[in-house]
Amino acid sequence: MTLRQTGTFIRTLVMTLAMVIGTTAAHAAVVADLDQKQVSITTDFNGAELLLFGALDLMEEDDIVIEVSGPLKNVAVRRKNKVAGIWLNTENVTLVDIPSFYHILSTRPLNDIADNKERRRINLGYENLPFVLATGSSIDEGNIEDWKAALARNMEASKLWAIDHDTVSTRKNALFRTDVVLPANIIPGQYSVRVVHFRNGSMIYEDRSSIRVEKRGLSAQIYEVAHSYAPFYGIFAIIFAVSAGWLAAVAFRR
Amino acid sequence: MYIYLPIAEISMNVLTIIGLGGMVGFLSGVFGVGGGFLMTPLLIFLGVPAPVAVGTEANQIVASSVSGVLAHFRRGNVDFKMGLVLLAGGLVGSTLGVALFALLRQLGQIDVVIKLSFIVFLGIIGSLMLIESVRAMLRTRLPGARRGKLHQHNWLHGLPFKMRFRKSKLYISALLPFMVGALVGILSAIMGVGGGFIMVPAMIYLLGMPTAVVVGTSLFQIIFVTANVTFLQSVQTQTVDIVLAGLLLLGAVVGAQFGTRVGAMLRGEQLRGLLALIVLGVCIKLVFDVVIEPTDLYSLEFVR
Repeated sequence: MTLRQTGTFIRTLVMTLAMVIGTTAAHAAVVADLDQKQVSITTDFNGAELLLFGALDLMEEDDIVIEVSGPLKNVAVRRKNKVAGIWLNTENVTLVDIPSFYHILSTRPLNDIADNKERRRINLGYENLPFVLATGSSIDEGNIEDWKAALARNMEASKLWAIDHDTVSTRKNALFRTDVVLPANIIPGQYSVRVVHFRNGSMIYEDRSSIRVEKRGLSAQIYEVAHSYAPFYGIFAIIFAVSAGWLAAVAFRR
Repeated sequence: MYIYLPIAEISMNVLTIIGLGGMVGFLSGVFGVGGGFLMTPLLIFLGVPAPVAVGTEANQIVASSVSGVLAHFRRGNVDFKMGLVLLAGGLVGSTLGVALFALLRQLGQIDVVIKLSFIVFLGIIGSLMLIESVRAMLRTRLPGARRGKLHQHNWLHGLPFKMRFRKSKLYISALLPFMVGALVGILSAIMGVGGGFIMVPAMIYLLGMPTAVVVGTSLFQIIFVTANVTFLQSVQTQTVDIVLAGLLLLGAVVGAQFGTRVGAMLRGEQLRGLLALIVLGVCIKLVFDVVIEPTDLYSLEFVR
C-alpha cells in the first residue's frame, strides 16, 4: 500500500465513522449503563445504591425520565373498619401482577414533562400501571380510586414505590446520571430499567436494560431450605434450639 | 451492623436483636419466667412481621426451656407423669393452634388475633399478679393476717379418669391437666409463647400442684409443645427464622445469667409486683394499637 493509498483509506474510514456517529446523533440515541447489573441479597444486605449513567444528544429543553420496575406480584390490600371498638381488617381485595418495585426518577415533575395522554401512551406513572382484581375480589366502582391511592401510598411508605423529580442530573447537554436506590425489603427477581428521552412533551427515544436481584450466600440457602425442605428445616430448627439450650446450661453451670 | 433475616425478609441491626434478647433474658432471669410473652410483642413493635415473630419465638423458647429444665431435673423437681399428661393435651392443642393460625393468616386477621390474645392474657395475669403482690406486701406489714386454705374441692375434682401423680401428691382426673395442656398449646401456637405464665398459675390454683415441682414440670412440657409448634409452623407457614432465633438466644442466655443474680437479691412480692407492672405496660400498649384509629386504614401484603 502506497502512502497515497493509505491516506485515502484513512480519509474514507474517518468519513464512514463520522457518518455512523452522525446518524446515531440524528436519532437522538441514548446510551445508558449501570455500574452494577447484578445485586446480591446477602447476609449483610441493607439495600443498594446503583449508579445509572449515560450519554445522549440533549437539547436545552429536553427531559430524561428513568423508570425502574421490579417483579410482578399479587398483593392483598385490606381496609380496616371499627368493629366493637376494635380496628379490624374487614375488606379484602387481591390485586394481580402489581410491580413489587416501581421508581421513577426524572429531571422535572412528570406533569411538566409530558401530559396524561402521552404518559398513558408509553405506560409511565402510577396511574398507568395495571390494576387488575383477582377472581373473587371486587370493589365498588366508586371506591376504585381510594384503593388505587391506598396501594400507591402503602407501597411508597415501604419505599418500594417512588416518584422523585430533580433526581436526574445532566451535564453539557450530553451526559446524564442518577442514583437508583433499592431498599432492603426488595423482592428478588428481574428489574427492568427504562430510560426515556422526552422532547417537547413527547418521547423521542427509549432505552431498556435490566438488573438481576438475587438472594445469595447463607441467607439464600436458609430461605431455600425453609421453603423447599420445610420438614427438614423444622427438625433442624428444633435440634439447633435443643443443642443451644443444652450448651447454655452447661456453660453457665456452677 | 445490619443483618438480613432470611425468613422475616427484613434487615435489622444485629446489636438491636442481641440487646432485645439480652433484655428479655435478663427479665426472665430476674422473674423466673420464659419471656416469650414479652419477646413476641416486642419483636412485632420492632417491625418483624407478626407471623414470623410468633414462629421464631416458639423456636427460641425450645432452647430457653431446655436450658431451664436441666437445673430443675437435677434437683428432681420434674413430675414426668404430670408432664406427659399435660404434654398430650399440649400436642393436641398446639396442632389445632397452628392450623387455626394458618387459617387466620389466610383471612388476614392473624395480626389482630395475636394482639387481642396478648391483651386478654397479659391483662388478666398482670392484674392478678399485681393484686396478689400488693396483698402480700400489706400482709408482711400486718403480721397476724390469716392465710387462706391451700386448695379447695369443687366440681373439677368429680371428673372421671382419676390418676395418681405421686410427685405432685395428687389424685385427680387426668382430663384436668389434659385440658390445661390443650388450652396452653393453642395459645402457644397463636401467640408464640411457651405459656408458662398461664401454665404455672393453672397448675398451682387449678390442679393444686406443690409449687416446688410446678416450674420444672411446666418447662419440661413446654419444650415439647414449642418443638411441635416450631415443626408445624416450619411446614405449614414457613415463619420460623432460625437466624433471628439464634441471635435472640445469644442475648437471652447472657441476660438470664445476670438476671438470676439480680433476682436473688429482690424479695418475692416485690419481684411479682414489678413483673405485673411490665406485663400491664405491654398490655396497655397493645390496647392502644387496636383501639386508636390507625394512621392508614389500608394495609398491604404480598401474597402468592
